[in-house]
Amino acid sequence: MRALWLALALVCLAAPGASAHIGSPNVFFDGVAGPHRVRVVIRPPQSFPGFAQADVRVEDADVTRITLQPELLDATAAAQAPLAEAARIAGQAELWGASFWLLRRGSYAIEIRLESGRGGGRLAVPLQAAALARPEMPPALGVTLLALGSLLIAGLVWLAGASGGRVAAAVTAALSFAAVYGGNYRWRQMDREFANALAKPLPVDTALERDGAQNLLALVPPGDAPLASAWDSLVSDHGKLMHMFLVREPDLDAFAHLHPVRRDARRFEGLLPPLPGGTYQLYGEVTHEDGTSETLVSRVNLPPPSAAALQAFTGPDGEIVCLSPASAVPLSSERPTALDYDDSWHLGVSDPARGVTAPLMGGGRMELQTDGALVADRDTSLRFRAYGPDGAPLPLEPYMGMHGHAALRRSDGTVFTHLHPSGSVSMAAAEILARRDGATVSPMPVASASAREVEFPYAFPRAGDYRVWVQVRSSGRVLTGVFDVRVSERS
Amino acid sequence: MLLLLGAISVPLTLLWDYSWESTIGIDRPWNPPHSANYLAVLLAAVGALRMIAPVTRVGVGGVVLGRARAPLGAWLALWGALAFVAALLFDRWWQASYGLAAGIWHPPQLAKGLAYFAVVTGAWLALVERQRDTRGALAAAVAAGAVLAMIFVVTAPQSFANRQHSAVFYKLGCALYPVVLAAQALAGRLRAPAAAAALAYLALCASLVWLLPLFPATPQAGPVYNALTHMLPPPFPLLLVVPALAFDALARYSSAKVRGGAWTAALLAGTAFFALFLATQWWFSAFLLSPAAYSWLFAGGGRHWPFFLRLEPAARTVFWDFMSPGLDVTAAFISALVAVASARAGIWLGSALRAGGRA
Repeated sequence: MRALWLALALVCLAAPGASAHIGSPNVFFDGVAGPHRVRVVIRPPQSFPGFAQADVRVEDADVTRITLQPELLDATAAAQAPLAEAARIAGQAELWGASFWLLRRGSYAIEIRLESGRGGGRLAVPLQAAALARPEMPPALGVTLLALGSLLIAGLVWLAGASGGRVAAAVTAALSFAAVYGGNYRWRQMDREFANALAKPLPVDTALERDGAQNLLALVPPGDAPLASAWDSLVSDHGKLMHMFLVREPDLDAFAHLHPVRRDARRFEGLLPPLPGGTYQLYGEVTHEDGTSETLVSRVNLPPPSAAALQAFTGPDGEIVCLSPASAVPLSSERPTALDYDDSWHLGVSDPARGVTAPLMGGGRMELQTDGALVADRDTSLRFRAYGPDGAPLPLEPYMGMHGHAALRRSDGTVFTHLHPSGSVSMAAAEILARRDGATVSPMPVASASAREVEFPYAFPRAGDYRVWVQVRSSGRVLTGVFDVRVSERS
Repeated sequence: MLLLLGAISVPLTLLWDYSWESTIGIDRPWNPPHSANYLAVLLAAVGALRMIAPVTRVGVGGVVLGRARAPLGAWLALWGALAFVAALLFDRWWQASYGLAAGIWHPPQLAKGLAYFAVVTGAWLALVERQRDTRGALAAAVAAGAVLAMIFVVTAPQSFANRQHSAVFYKLGCALYPVVLAAQALAGRLRAPAAAAALAYLALCASLVWLLPLFPATPQAGPVYNALTHMLPPPFPLLLVVPALAFDALARYSSAKVRGGAWTAALLAGTAFFALFLATQWWFSAFLLSPAAYSWLFAGGGRHWPFFLRLEPAARTVFWDFMSPGLDVTAAFISALVAVASARAGIWLGSALRAGGRA
């Protein structure tokens, strides 16, 4: 009767969930807690209530205790959750594991506290826990239940007949079938409601307007969207209210990372660079002031760019320059008149023959390094270095506050995510959590100096082929490397 | 005895489970109350199986399946145990797939409820047929008490003291309790069989109200809206013994008329149930919400709430008219009418059981 008692508390939980990443529910976070660098992976449960699993990697041997505390962000301050103790994983001195029970879906701050000889530290990791997929019953279980159900109905009808005669048997048979029909009807109804409440990307409507030689793309919530999807409560995530990605279908041979400007609570606008014509999948990432992040999705048909637009982005050597020539556009501008300073795009696919090496605009190359083969659901680091045309390593300058950004997409489109060196969480959400307790809790510090390498913590959620776009800035130019990687099943 | 032990353990372990979920929160498939609950169903099934051999040997009475012969109740309890296995398989998959996000009363939950009722009701029916002496009659009364406790468990969300002035509480109570009390009043062999069943129900449920809070426990999940240091007592049971006494009196003094005037008897019993149930619970629930009930004995006073329940302090000791409309004249009339129908069903069942017991 477990569910019975939760009825009073859980009736209000039917609101649809939001998703910050498509098909990639796990959270990766690289941050600092006091003097310790901490890497965290959190795997939320598939259904609620259920156990979330957390891996905490700390290389410092003086850490003596790690605790985790999930805090529901809409709970009252007095409603603390108990601490979950992390235990060292046998054979891996730097890895700690913990599990904690999440009663329901929602936005959580996972408070991680470390005790050590150097005073320890604290860290808060945002987690949006939500159901992602509609369940399907395994055929073997379905057949077993069908057999047992038939046996039970036959048994009940026999029992009624043996004790009450034919009329009783007939009535029992009719009642049994009515119960099966009613149960099935209720199941379908609940399944529909469950599917409606699944965390899924929010569709948006798009409109393309011609502004002289340039295209202006507008994003608005669909006409039937609830008021809650208004965009007046957004906060900026590394300086931008929205990070929008455009990927040309079906070959994924054109990619853009743009930053539209908010016109009002229900409209974003941005100029489009001279991307080749075709159908594009649009992903827009936004973070609300309560720390919840959402991915907006749409499909956009773009016409071929005008000759004038192409001319404006063609370098002296005839190469298309995938870089905004304009200076930064203030967010308060009424209407975008130029591309954002951090807007960037890339044309072309990876070169399968070159494997982990990708050509860069201007003649250089980018290289990918991983710790062994990529395996589904295994914590890994994707490390990238860029080299100039002369083969010399390029210093990587901060690009929107960090040394690189990565976007990755599974070949069938079921996974799309945006990664930073500090993991998969929205930096805006991490900063909101950090501010709650003063400055003592912080994500990885914002990059200020140049580096030789950029590293992204991640675990691919499923096996398959993925395309990865990695963006770094060097000598003021944003460079995009494109890689195709194959992720194998976990054995 | 195994059958009786299993039958009373089913509602007891479900109330323990309520306390566990409300206090500790983490709900693993093999936690102690769940394991005890599976064991309760198993005990009842073994008890029912053990009834087959002697009845088959005698070769008279009972319901025949192939070469086996057993009381109807034993077969029903066995059916319930098998239904429980199927429902549990279904429920495990459901919990892992939908969790509680799809709703509370999901199909496997309903199937589990049906299975529990089949086990406990089967035990009661089987034991009613075996009232050869006072001990047997007592066992039947305790089994009837277990059925009443099962009703209390499944209607618990509507039976909080804070909801005992609402229409839904009286409609549900009038629909479900009179059928058991009336049947037990007619088929039981004690001097006051229905009152004995109501007392057994009271003792079963109250024992957990008194025992569980003796064990220290704290929530292992959050958010914790109500700090707990000991296992949460379940809600205090209903004082069904008052209307049950009236049923016994009616059965005793009008037994000669029962056959001919079953509807008259049902009218009397149903109306009496409604009036006495209303009078008792209306005032008793007010007492349970008052500071006077904040004691180990009654576990009232609006002080005992599951850790996950977010409830304003002011709402803890008042009747929740905002959740469900209060009892008005129309609802009272419907409740009384439902009680009459329920009592009529109980009279039919009790008469059938009494006839079966004599055979």
